[in-house]
Amino acid sequence: MSATETQPDSSYFLRKLHSFTGLLPVGAFLAEHFWSNSAALVSARKYDDVSQDLQTIPFRLIVEWGAIFLPMLFHGGYGVYIWWRGKSNVSAYPWVGNWLYTAQRYTGLIAFAYIGWHLYTERWLTHGRSTYATVAHDMRNPWYLAFFVVGVLASSFHLGVGVWNFLCKWGLAATARAQQAAGRLGAVVGITFSVVGILIILSFRLNWHPFAFYITK
Amino acid sequence: MGDGKQVIVKVKRQAGPKQPARWEEFSLKWRPSMNVIICLRDIAESPVTRDGKKTTPITYDSNCLEEICGSCAMLINGKARMACSALVDQLDQPIRIEPMSKFPLVRDLAVDRQFMFESLKRVKAWIPIDGTYDLGEGPRVSPEIQEQGYPLSNCISCGNCLEVCPQVNEHSQFVGAAIISQVRLFNMHPTGAMNKSERLAAIMGPGGIQDCANAQNCVHACPKNIPLTESIAAVNRDAWKQALLGWLG
Amino acid sequence: MRQPKIIVVGGGLAGLMATIRVAESGVPVDLFSIVPVKRSHSVCAQGGINAAKNQKGEGDTTAKHFDDTIYGGDFLANQPLVKRMCEAAPGIIDLLDRMGVMFNRTPEGLLDYRRFGGTLYHRTAFAGATTGQQLLYALDEQVRRHEAEGKVHKFESSMFLSAVIDDCGVCRGICAMDLRTMEVKTYAADAVIFATGGIGAIFGRSTNSVVCTGSAQSALLQQGVDYANGEFIQVHPTAIPGEDKLRLMSESARGEGGRVWVPRNPAEKRAPRSIPEGERFYFLEEWYPKYGNLVPRDIATRAIHRIVYQEKLGIDGQAAVYLDVTHIPRETLDRKLEGILEIYEKFLGVDPREEPMKVFPAMHYTMGGVWVNGEDQATNVPGIYAAGECEYQYHGANRLGANSLVSCIFGGGLAGPAAVKYAKSLEKGAEAAASTVFDREKKRQEEKNQALLSQDGTENPMTIWRELGDIMTEHVTVTRINKNLEKADAQIRVLQERAKKMNLSDRTRWSNQTLNFARELENMIILARVVTLGALARNESRGAHYKPDFPERDDANWLKTTRAKWVNSEIRLSYEPVDISQITPRPRRYDAAK
Ligand SMILES: Cc1cc2nc3c(=O)[nH]c(=O)nc-3n(C[C@H](O)[C@H](O)[C@H](O)COP(=O)(O)OP(=O)(O)OC[C@H]3O[C@@H](n4cnc5c(N)ncnc54)[C@H](O)[C@@H]3O)c2cc1C
Ligand code: SF4
Ligand code: FES
Repeated sequence: MSATETQPDSSYFLRKLHSFTGLLPVGAFLAEHFWSNSAALVSARKYDDVSQDLQTIPFRLIVEWGAIFLPMLFHGGYGVYIWWRGKSNVSAYPWVGNWLYTAQRYTGLIAFAYIGWHLYTERWLTHGRSTYATVAHDMRNPWYLAFFVVGVLASSFHLGVGVWNFLCKWGLAATARAQQAAGRLGAVVGITFSVVGILIILSFRLNWHPFAFYITK
Repeated sequence: MGDGKQVIVKVKRQAGPKQPARWEEFSLKWRPSMNVIICLRDIAESPVTRDGKKTTPITYDSNCLEEICGSCAMLINGKARMACSALVDQLDQPIRIEPMSKFPLVRDLAVDRQFMFESLKRVKAWIPIDGTYDLGEGPRVSPEIQEQGYPLSNCISCGNCLEVCPQVNEHSQFVGAAIISQVRLFNMHPTGAMNKSERLAAIMGPGGIQDCANAQNCVHACPKNIPLTESIAAVNRDAWKQALLGWLG
Repeated sequence: MRQPKIIVVGGGLAGLMATIRVAESGVPVDLFSIVPVKRSHSVCAQGGINAAKNQKGEGDTTAKHFDDTIYGGDFLANQPLVKRMCEAAPGIIDLLDRMGVMFNRTPEGLLDYRRFGGTLYHRTAFAGATTGQQLLYALDEQVRRHEAEGKVHKFESSMFLSAVIDDCGVCRGICAMDLRTMEVKTYAADAVIFATGGIGAIFGRSTNSVVCTGSAQSALLQQGVDYANGEFIQVHPTAIPGEDKLRLMSESARGEGGRVWVPRNPAEKRAPRSIPEGERFYFLEEWYPKYGNLVPRDIATRAIHRIVYQEKLGIDGQAAVYLDVTHIPRETLDRKLEGILEIYEKFLGVDPREEPMKVFPAMHYTMGGVWVNGEDQATNVPGIYAAGECEYQYHGANRLGANSLVSCIFGGGLAGPAAVKYAKSLEKGAEAAASTVFDREKKRQEEKNQALLSQDGTENPMTIWRELGDIMTEHVTVTRINKNLEKADAQIRVLQERAKKMNLSDRTRWSNQTLNFARELENMIILARVVTLGALARNESRGAHYKPDFPERDDANWLKTTRAKWVNSEIRLSYEPVDISQITPRPRRYDAAK
């Protein structure tokens, strides 16, 4: 049998890459981003320090483009193509998986738009030098705030379902029971990200630092 | 006879693929254990609509009438299911009956599901035997494999899993869950496994397994309770490994 | 050398096996079927397939399988080919196994076998509760493989109308109608194999599938292909009555203690469970105290018929009796009978654990069929072969359970190479036949269609069909009484006249199912007469054929094959001796060891 006979179609490659980039690096970046932004929950100072650290990593542009922007662009761009090719039918078949499928498509679109805008405002316009003060200022705009909330929730949801999808679609969760467990894992991821994200937003909006007592000790 | 109860049935009619669609309503005499096939037969015997207009009998597919041949899939009250096991007493009225929407329409409720049979060809859904002459017994198969394989081999090619799949539509070529499950079945068999890589390659081709987006509707809609989502996961696992090794090697 | 061409009509087990054999020999095949072949009736078979593999160390042999088959068939089968079939059966199982059929397995990974009616041995291989489906799929997959390689061409929405027979009486192809375009076309072939299955539809409702109308067999008869032993119809005692179909209810329900009864009062209106014990008539237990509910199939069947048609005690005046398992503990039912009780629940929407099931005997199988020569499945018309349930030669007067699937595959496997051999032996093939032969046949069929589409009448084909089924079921199934058979034939002839006044409510020429049904109906009526007249003439009781006025088997006068011929547009019966060269007939008794 010749090698070409066993080689998949390019759409296979792209779909798998899409699925993979969703987790790595995009999902991982999201985790890192939520983590570093959680510094705001300690203090504005801490946030600015962490932010400063990130802004001064070596090869920053290469890392940003190669490991974050381009994969994200691909994941989002190809995602839109996937969105276009699907056709929700959740009103006829209101099963849980189908709801998740439908929500995944739309939260993907929202997250893509949100992240694009977020990058533009917080990375582009500020030349990567946003501080606690600038972000907190942005948050005072109720439209900004609303978009932040929606965007964070959509991204978190999309990542949670994405984890579930990933485990199923790579055959890592192969039995019905394993898939249920994967679903629970996805739910934990989604909920955790949502909660942390909302806390961060609250921190900026209310100037609220619940972990500030770490410093005073 | 009986208590004069009526069954109201609305059928989507279409005289041919390019003809306009219309709905016709019928009022039929209720009988115990009536199913949708019996409704369609009643209409054939007296093709008159509820408002007294003469019409034609309804074209539809059926054969076994016991949910094993896969012929009679249609949309009943909006859901893909087998007409022969759809009992009138368990359906809300008026009962809406439509053809499946993901396959080319032939006429009325009959559609052309050739796509599924063609897909079976694509993935070589068969055991490559040398010939039908006497070559002795087949390979031994453990009861475990039999217990896994038998449910998969129950697929009646009804097409319900494609009908309910949001990824199967006019934009895509997705072969659907049934075919992926067949790949798993044949790859599981000791002789079938000899063509495993070809089957996997085919299922990674255009419209292949990559188009599955994990909505998992298929497994709910399957009248044979085939563990389709498990099949998809199992084939997925084999597929990417083969792809990866192919790229590396 | 000339490349021969073969046509196979019918894609059940028999047709697919024939197709594979022909394709394997390198000869192209055109395969015609009304339904996509994967949806053929063979998928309905549940029980299993027989082969004496002696896998359980019981000392089973093919000779014993042969003896059981001949004995079970009440010695009406020609013996030599049945012997060959039983000898070939183990090889057939091996082949199916190699094709990947998911047969049930023993812990060692070998095939498991179960016991079935009519034998003492574990001789029946099975794949869950859907053996027929599994076997059909295995063959379907092989055919698909040949199709992908270009050796097989399928016409899967196509109805055979008639054979194309030239002036020398040789078959040169077929005439078929595309069921979408309704176009009539002829197809040339050097030999044609028919594997068009059963004839259940002439009884209206049966355990058979919708397309089992026997229309093709009848069309062939009318073109000079003889039909044998038509009167032998197997009836299964317990089927679930339905207005569309009679679905099989396995004997195991009675085996686990199910009781059969009817209310003593024919006007009974109460729900079955509220009828007191004393007002129930457990007729099997009363009439056959020794065997009770477990009397053999044919006796149970006859008793139920007597209750309904003679005693008029059917439930609510309908043709049904109760099969009651409600007294059996739920756990027992769920453990032992779950699968079959589920079928009842699914199709009737009633839980048989709560409410007695309604059952009635149902036409199940035709032992009779197209006459073939006892050697290689050839009919009396050169170039026409037949295999599977549509031919007559393996089951005599009664078929043993799980023997049909094996006969279909064996017969199909024989017919394929035989047709190829015949086709290769022809000096001039179908291509040399005059085109007028084809045009003539096509014109004849088109004219029939045209007549049906344009005539103005008063009769609805569905109504005629229903009446035909009622007549056949009442008079020509279980208990046959000459005066009733005469009446039935007269009634059928009336239907035949009425059918000439059919009015098709659909006159279009696209996927017009009324038209093809009307075409089938005309043929069904003729075949119904073949069955009825055969039954009327045979004044004895043998196998499934039972006449209370002639309760004994009569070897002196009736150890003969019935052969129906079409002479001057009429059915003419003749008889020929049965080949009993291997096993001497002995009495067949159900109530004692054989
Ligand atoms: C409920 C049930 C259970 C059974 N269980 C068992 C069992 O356990 N074991 C056993 O051995 N047997 C069993 N039988 C019997 C067995 O299933 C059948 O005898 C057997 O499957 C017949 O196969 P076949 O190939 O002859 O025909 P079929 O499978 O009936 O196929 C007939 C083919 O002919 C085609 N056809 C018919 N007319 C035309 C036409 N005019 N033009 C074109 N195509 C046409 C059809 O489309 C179909 O493809 C059972 C039968 C029933 C009804
Ligand atoms: S997998 Fe299930 S739903 Fe899909 S075609 Fe097969 S039987 Fe139908
Ligand atoms: S008619 Fe066969 S599945 Fe419904």
